[in-house]
Amino acid sequence: MPSQYNIVGTKQRRVDAWGKVTGRAKFAEDYNVAHQLTGRVLRAAYPHARILRIDTSKAERLPGVAAVLTAKDVPGSKVFGIVTQNQYVLAEDVTRYLGDGVALVAAVSRKVADEALTLIKVDYEPLPIVSDPEEAMKPDAPKIHGESNIFVHHKVRKGDINSGFAQADFVIERRFKTQFVEHAYIEPEAVLAEPGEQGGVRITGSIQNLFSSRRSVAAALTIDLNKVQLIQSTLGGSFGGKDEVMTSMCCRAGLLALVTGKPVKMVNTREESMLESYKRHPYALYYRWGAKNDGTIVAMEIRIIADGGAYASMSPFVTWRSVVQATGPYHCENVKTDVYAVYTNNNYTGAMRGFGSPQVNFAIESMMDELAEHVGKDPLEIRVQNCFTRGSVTATGQKLDHTVSLKQVLNEAAAVADFQKKWKAYRSASPAPKKRGIGLACSYRGVSLGAEGTDAAGVIVSVQTDGSVILSSGVTDMGQGAQAQMSHIAAEVLGITMDRIQFLNTNTSRVPDSGPTVASRGTIMGGSAAKKGAEIVRASLLDAGAEMTGVPAGDLSIKNDYLIKSTTGERLASFAELAAECFKQGRPLIGLGWHKSPKTSWDKEGGQGTAYFTFVYGTNIAEVEVDTETGKTDVIDFVSAHEVGQTISRGGVEGQIFGGVAMGVGYGLLEDFEIEDGTPKQLNFDEYLIPTSMDVPPIRTVLVENADPAGPFGAKSIGEPANEIAAPAIVSAIFNATGKRLTEIPASLERVLLGHALNRGGPRGSLQKELPEDTVCKIRPVRNETL
Amino acid sequence: MRPFEYIGCESIEAAVGALDEYAGDARILAGGTDLLLELRRPGTSSPKAIVDISRISSLRGIASVDGTIRIGPLTTHTELSHSAVIRENAGFLAAAAGAIGSPQIRNRGTIGGNIMNAATCADTVPPLVALGARLTLRSGRAERTIGIDGFFQKPYTTVVQDNEVLTSISFAPCAPTARTAFVKLGRRSALSIARLSVAAVLVRDKQGIITEARIVPGAALPVWKRVNEAETMLIGERASSTLFAAAGRKVSDVMVGLTGRRWSTEYKEPVLAVLVRRSLEGCCSE
Repeated sequence: MPSQYNIVGTKQRRVDAWGKVTGRAKFAEDYNVAHQLTGRVLRAAYPHARILRIDTSKAERLPGVAAVLTAKDVPGSKVFGIVTQNQYVLAEDVTRYLGDGVALVAAVSRKVADEALTLIKVDYEPLPIVSDPEEAMKPDAPKIHGESNIFVHHKVRKGDINSGFAQADFVIERRFKTQFVEHAYIEPEAVLAEPGEQGGVRITGSIQNLFSSRRSVAAALTIDLNKVQLIQSTLGGSFGGKDEVMTSMCCRAGLLALVTGKPVKMVNTREESMLESYKRHPYALYYRWGAKNDGTIVAMEIRIIADGGAYASMSPFVTWRSVVQATGPYHCENVKTDVYAVYTNNNYTGAMRGFGSPQVNFAIESMMDELAEHVGKDPLEIRVQNCFTRGSVTATGQKLDHTVSLKQVLNEAAAVADFQKKWKAYRSASPAPKKRGIGLACSYRGVSLGAEGTDAAGVIVSVQTDGSVILSSGVTDMGQGAQAQMSHIAAEVLGITMDRIQFLNTNTSRVPDSGPTVASRGTIMGGSAAKKGAEIVRASLLDAGAEMTGVPAGDLSIKNDYLIKSTTGERLASFAELAAECFKQGRPLIGLGWHKSPKTSWDKEGGQGTAYFTFVYGTNIAEVEVDTETGKTDVIDFVSAHEVGQTISRGGVEGQIFGGVAMGVGYGLLEDFEIEDGTPKQLNFDEYLIPTSMDVPPIRTVLVENADPAGPFGAKSIGEPANEIAAPAIVSAIFNATGKRLTEIPASLERVLLGHALNRGGPRGSLQKELPEDTVCKIRPVRNETL
Repeated sequence: MRPFEYIGCESIEAAVGALDEYAGDARILAGGTDLLLELRRPGTSSPKAIVDISRISSLRGIASVDGTIRIGPLTTHTELSHSAVIRENAGFLAAAAGAIGSPQIRNRGTIGGNIMNAATCADTVPPLVALGARLTLRSGRAERTIGIDGFFQKPYTTVVQDNEVLTSISFAPCAPTARTAFVKLGRRSALSIARLSVAAVLVRDKQGIITEARIVPGAALPVWKRVNEAETMLIGERASSTLFAAAGRKVSDVMVGLTGRRWSTEYKEPVLAVLVRRSLEGCCSE
């Protein structure tokens, strides 16, 4: 079927490609100005300690030092945070993790600044450390903030689990555990802060969410928002990771710039980046399902504990997505879900690609496989039997009144991978040193922010008098391709080719606050705004065309760079001529597109609501080869099927899927940011292992398009869906190969071979105690049990 | 990284001269793949001088002379893994060099650096120990050639004096009937530090009886050595998986005997046995 679109859905050169492949793109570290100072941070000596005294006098006297600052020098708000304001620009009385900043130095060179750091004397009183979230929940645990370490408790309540379990023929109960994960963006944190000409400060840097960072800088420095200008340099990756850690760096660099009156550059080393930056939450997940012998699920009781680390950060929102999606896309009338986030002295945890879904998807999909085993069905059958369809009501009571594409993505992915045939064959293969397995995982995912908060975004479309076009937006491109997506949409509406478009990096003083670029909302929110902005300009251009040609505007159109008569296709003027004419007539060539998402709702106490205005659906199938004598697992083939509504940029969508699967391979097999007693065990990529190109399998993509009225041209999202189900598919494939199911990730050599991990440091003290195997892993008949 | 003197050398004489001058406070730069990481690691003390030997052309190259194979210590892992001489006469050394890091690291890293750094996970060392390689060291005053089996004292420590430069690695080629194998296990498929490795040599006579066996595990023992206890089990026997598995278990026993039970033993004990068996099987496959 020929596409109804010219640009939408096609493969086009990315608008940011030239700069990146020629090396002209300017990343934060590339910005340098005359007279700039180097800013450096003295970090905590203990993960948890009271600061008794800081003596900066020696450091101040060192020649070349321009300023040595501590928390008392922060003129305004000493804390920031998007939900709970408890993260300190500089630690005031207490350090809560090793990444905390205690003092700042600005000096003429990095060398002088580093020497000054060694001259700052801090007296500490070490406090007891809590590094395990389940330990931290106990009443006698050391407290990180206030009276309790439990700072989030989200609930979902549906039906009555007691009556649900009473109907069950059997119960499956499991404990799952996931790990800290580092974002591993290739560009570490960096900013250049310059004092503003009229006061205030201008900060250029590798910042993901410029508007929220700007609010914190303004509050910390007591400056109006109009005098805090944050400019996005080209970002070398973020994956959700350049939010609070950049806010912190912006506040610190801004403070140093204002105090010294000079530009201040701050750049983290990789080690500093890993030490200070937030991670993906480790979860402990307790899943208990009651089911019938036919495979129907009648009760789900779910309890999840998330390690929030030292600060609240995005934990309240991350865990809220978890509570909404904790049952997976499966029918169940009786649900009780509780998700807690807990403070510890570990790295704080926040947004990372997936945002609370990779952890629950691992648990849900493992449970689904176990259910299938128990009732003698295959992983595909059990999912097709239980999955949501149009009109289904979710655990939060939301009726899905859009096209629910779950069965379609499941079946299409299975067909491409030849899933059922391979699954049966591998399962009955005789023992061998190397065994193959195939595994499947699916998900549904709420699009954009949902009931987390206000969801709106703006894009400015500005046509120049020569027919070239400038786009700018509050939605940030971090490498994910948001600029390309928005450009495809604007080009489609304007009837022009993509090469006319230049996209400007975000500048908070020149574009409207569009909220954070998170939650896979770039295309659906930014794209909708781009569409509206382009439509405004298009209407103006057609009016100009009507005045110029005498043909009514309603009979005109713009196609392939020409103004045409819709009925005949006759070319009346080139796009450049039309733009010049529009300017000559004094008509606007600019449009601000503004898009606000449809309504969502959430009842916190009742644990019910219309959580998200629409959902996307995906299926991943992984094929592995397991060395059963060493535990080494290679992913040898991969099929990733996603319902995207409508593909906007084909290359962009496929790129997201390839990258998402690669990250998922890391999550499933390799990555583990180990923290022992508050101390990270690896601070660079020599020990923190991410997949290399040799570890990533060939990936086949299946794009399912069921246009959704909520998105521009029907488009929804792909960034996080692409990442969130790779790991469970891999673990499922390992089971198919070996008959052994892992309840903890990553599936390291030791876990695959021995069934458990080995810790270099031995038992981690009172922290990280593992429950004995037999108390947590059991399938038991419901008879003779009190439920 | 703290400031240091950089001394670029064009000759061995210049290098040993510089080492003498800085008596114990100099480090040698060859490929730099280990040294540079070490220098920039926070909290490590920098040497006064870095003696760069990377441009000394006489320290490069692979030659087969009078029945001895001589490798210049600046020979890169890439050169080693592609060398026809090495592939023919010590296939497992080429394989080990090709298993190191990534193409970029193999292009810079040198066999001399791999030996001198003496990390227990060094990939080229197990084959060199199996080959009974001899190492030539030069100082300002003298030259000495010593066997590799007395060279390493403990992880990261060798018998090399502060004023000595490694100038040559030599060994007799394997017998034409010998078969070699190198097996490496890492956590990922590239850029991976050996979790365990095994270098093996087997010679069988026309009747298929094993007449010679050499087994050297890597990343397993405090100091590399041939595991004679396992090797002798093979002599006079015919190749079989059962035999090789038994030899593997013996190697694991020897490892546990030497290292005691450590955090990693639960994993390494069974897996080393498997890798030994596979390396021996590798020597029997065509």
